[in-house]
Amino acid sequence: MKFNSIAKGAFVLGATLLLSCSSDDDTTPGIVEPATYNFTRNNESTVSFSGQTTRILMAEELAAAFLDPTATEAELDAMFAHQQGDNDFSDADLNASDKNILSKTAASRDFFFANTVASADIKADYQLWIANQVSEVFPNWNTDATAGQAGAIQEAGGGPVRYVNAEGVEYNQLFTKSLIGALMLDQALNNYLSSAVLDEADNIENNNNGITAEGRNYTTMEHKWDEAYGYFYGTAADPANPNATIGQDDGFMNKYIGRAENDSDFAGIAADIFNAFKLGRAAIVAKDYTVRDAQAEIIREKASEIIGIRAVYYLQQGKLGLEAGVVDYASVFHDLSEGLGFIYALQFTRRPGTTQPYFTKTEVEDFITTLVDTPQNGFWNVTPATLQTMSETIAAEFNFTIEEAAN
Amino acid sequence: MKRLSFVGILFITLLLSCSTEDDVNGGGGDQSGFDRKVLLENVADNIAIPAYENLAARLNSLQSSTTAFTTTVSVENLTSLRTSWKQAYVSWQAISFLEIGKAEEISFRNFMNVYPVTVADIEANISSGSYDLSLVSKQDEQGFAAIDYLLNGIGTTDEEVVAVFNEPTTGANYRQYLTDVVARMVQLTDVVVSDWKGAYRDNFVNNSGSSATSSFDKLVNDYLFHYEKHLRAGKIGIPAGAFNNVPLEDRVEAYYDGEFSKTLFLANLNAMQDFFNGKHFDAATNGESFKTYLEYLNRNDLSTLINDQFDIIRLESAELDDNFSAQVRTNNTLMLQTFDNLQANVVLLKVDMLSAFSVSVDFIDADGD
Repeated sequence: MKFNSIAKGAFVLGATLLLSCSSDDDTTPGIVEPATYNFTRNNESTVSFSGQTTRILMAEELAAAFLDPTATEAELDAMFAHQQGDNDFSDADLNASDKNILSKTAASRDFFFANTVASADIKADYQLWIANQVSEVFPNWNTDATAGQAGAIQEAGGGPVRYVNAEGVEYNQLFTKSLIGALMLDQALNNYLSSAVLDEADNIENNNNGITAEGRNYTTMEHKWDEAYGYFYGTAADPANPNATIGQDDGFMNKYIGRAENDSDFAGIAADIFNAFKLGRAAIVAKDYTVRDAQAEIIREKASEIIGIRAVYYLQQGKLGLEAGVVDYASVFHDLSEGLGFIYALQFTRRPGTTQPYFTKTEVEDFITTLVDTPQNGFWNVTPATLQTMSETIAAEFNFTIEEAAN
Repeated sequence: MKRLSFVGILFITLLLSCSTEDDVNGGGGDQSGFDRKVLLENVADNIAIPAYENLAARLNSLQSSTTAFTTTVSVENLTSLRTSWKQAYVSWQAISFLEIGKAEEISFRNFMNVYPVTVADIEANISSGSYDLSLVSKQDEQGFAAIDYLLNGIGTTDEEVVAVFNEPTTGANYRQYLTDVVARMVQLTDVVVSDWKGAYRDNFVNNSGSSATSSFDKLVNDYLFHYEKHLRAGKIGIPAGAFNNVPLEDRVEAYYDGEFSKTLFLANLNAMQDFFNGKHFDAATNGESFKTYLEYLNRNDLSTLINDQFDIIRLESAELDDNFSAQVRTNNTLMLQTFDNLQANVVLLKVDMLSAFSVSVDFIDADGD
C-alpha cells in the first residue's frame, strides 16, 4: 500500500511536471493564447463583466448587513432584490444599477430553465434566512446563546463573538457560503459556460463572422464567456491577471480558490482554473468550439471540487472541535455554519461531462436535515460520528481524500 | 534544479513516513536509533514537573496575598499582592508552552492567560456577581490578565484602586471576583500538577514512538505552536501590527501594569530556548533535548543556528522599552525588528528541525474568517 502511494505520488508529480513543461510550447494550432486575460478587437478590449462585479459587491454589502442588528427585514430584502435607483447600498454605483442578486440566484439555463419549482424553492430559502436573522437572532443580540436559545456566543481565547439561532446556526455564514453555489457557481458553470447559452440563437454564426453585439466591441459568445469569468474574478485587483491576488479580492469564489490554492494538496488549482478560462476564451476568438468546451469542463470540475473540499474541511474542523477536552462551541458552530453553506452549494456543482451536480437538491436537503435535526437543538447535539460519515460521503464523489481536504 | 530538489524532498518524505509506520509507540527509538524516551524523561522529571510545582507554589503565594488584601484593603497590601502576581506571572512563562496532557484537555493556557481581557464583560460579571468562569466564552475575563486589570487598571493611582475595592456597596463584589479568579487559577494548576505527578508522567514517557500521537511528535508541535502563536504573534507581532499593519498598543501582555511586558516576553523566550537545550528547571544542568537529538542526527549546524538565533533575538530585544505599549507608540520599528528576528527562527524550527526529526506539523493557521 505504502509503496503504491509512493509510486502514485511520483507518477502524479512526474505527470504534473510533464504537463507544466509542455504547456508552454503546446499551443493548439490556430489558437493564440495571451499571457493574461486580455482580448482585443481593433486595439480595444473585448472583455466585459461589470454586471458580475456589481452582484458580487451587492452580496458583500448584504453579508455585512446580516451582522447589523439595527437592520430591518425590509432593508435586507431590498438589498437582496434591489430595484434600480433605490437607496439600498452604501455604494452609489450599486444603487444606480439595474442588477440584483435575487434574479440570478438558482437561475441557470441548464439547471433551472425548466425547473422553476426548485428555483423558487431555493430563492425562498434565502428570503427565509433573512427573515429569521431579523426575527430570531437580532432580538437576542445581547443574550447568551444556549441549546435552544438564539443569541451571542464567544470563541475561546477571547475570540470573535458568533451570533446564532436556537440551533447554533449562523445565518450569515449559511447565506454567504451557499450563495457561492447558488449565484457564482450556478451562473458560471451551468449558465454562461453552457453551450445552451454560448451557442444560443445565431451566436456561432456571428462569432464565426466576427459580428459584434449591437453597440459593443465583443461578440455575444465572447461576452457570455466573460460573464462566467466575472463571477470568479470580477473583483480582482488586476482582472486580467487575477491570480496575483487570488483569495483576497472578495468573500466568495475568489476567496475559496485562494484557500484551495494555499493548501499544498491542491496547489496549482488556481492556475488550472484561470488557464482554462483563458484558453477557452482564446478558443472562441479562434472559433474552435471543441477546445472551448473542453475548457468549460475543466472549470466545472475544478470549481466544483473547491466546494466539495470546503464542505469536508469545515465538517472535519467541527468534528475536531467537538472532540476537544474543552469544547469551544462558538468555534464549532462557526465551522459547521460555513460547512452547512458549502453543503447547500453542492447542488449547484457540475459533474464534468454531464448535466448533473455532484449532489442533487434532495441529497443536499438530506445532509442539512441530518446536521440540524439531531433531533433537537441542531448543532448543540451533532456528533463527531455524523460529521465523519458525512465527510466520507461527500469526499467519495470527488477526486480528493478527507485528509487532503482537512489540513 | 528547483524541480529536482523538490522530487528529492518528496521521496525522502515518503521514505521517512514509510518507515515510521512500523514503529508505533515502540521501544523509544526512531529509525536513527535516538532514544526518545530518555528525552521525554528529561522533559517530565527535570522540566515539566518542577516548573509546574513552582507555578503552583507561586499561585499559592498569590492566593495568600489576595486573602491578605481582601481582608485588609490597603496600599501596602496592594503592593505586595502585585509582587506576588508578578512572580506568579513570570513562573507561568516558564511552562506555558507545554500544553499537553491534562493542560491540553482542560484548555489550560486559554483559561490562564488570554489577553487583552474584555473589560466591559469583567465589569458586568462584578456588578451582577453572577458568572461561570468555566465557560469558554469567559476566557477573556479571567487569568493573569484579569488580575492585571483589577490591580492596575481600575484606577490611575494606588489610592484609587484601593478605593474601588473598599467602596461600601460595590467593593465586596470586586474583592469576591479577585478571589474567584485567583482560586480558579490555583485549582486548574493543581489539576495539571497532580496529573503530571500521577499517572500521566509514565504515560507521557512511555508513549515514546514516532506516530503522530506519540509524546515526542505532540511535544514538538506544541512547542512550535506556542512559539509561533504566543511568543512571536501574541507578545510581539500583534501589538507591533505585523499582521495587519496597524500597531495595537493595548494588545500587549500586562497592559495595565505598563512596565512588565518585556520581562514576561524575555522570561518566555528564555524558557523556550532552555527547553530547546534540555536545561533542567532552575538548575545549570542540561539533559537530552531537541538540541542533543539534532546533534545525534549530525545536525550540529542546525542546533547552532537555532541557538544563535535565540541569542540574536534576546540581544536585539534588549533595546526594547520595558513597556511594549510605549515601544509601539514611540518606535515600532524596533518591535517589528524583534518580530523579524523571531520569524527567522520559525523557519529553522518548523521546517528544518521538523524535517530532521521527521515530524509532521499537526496544526494549521486558523481560517481567520
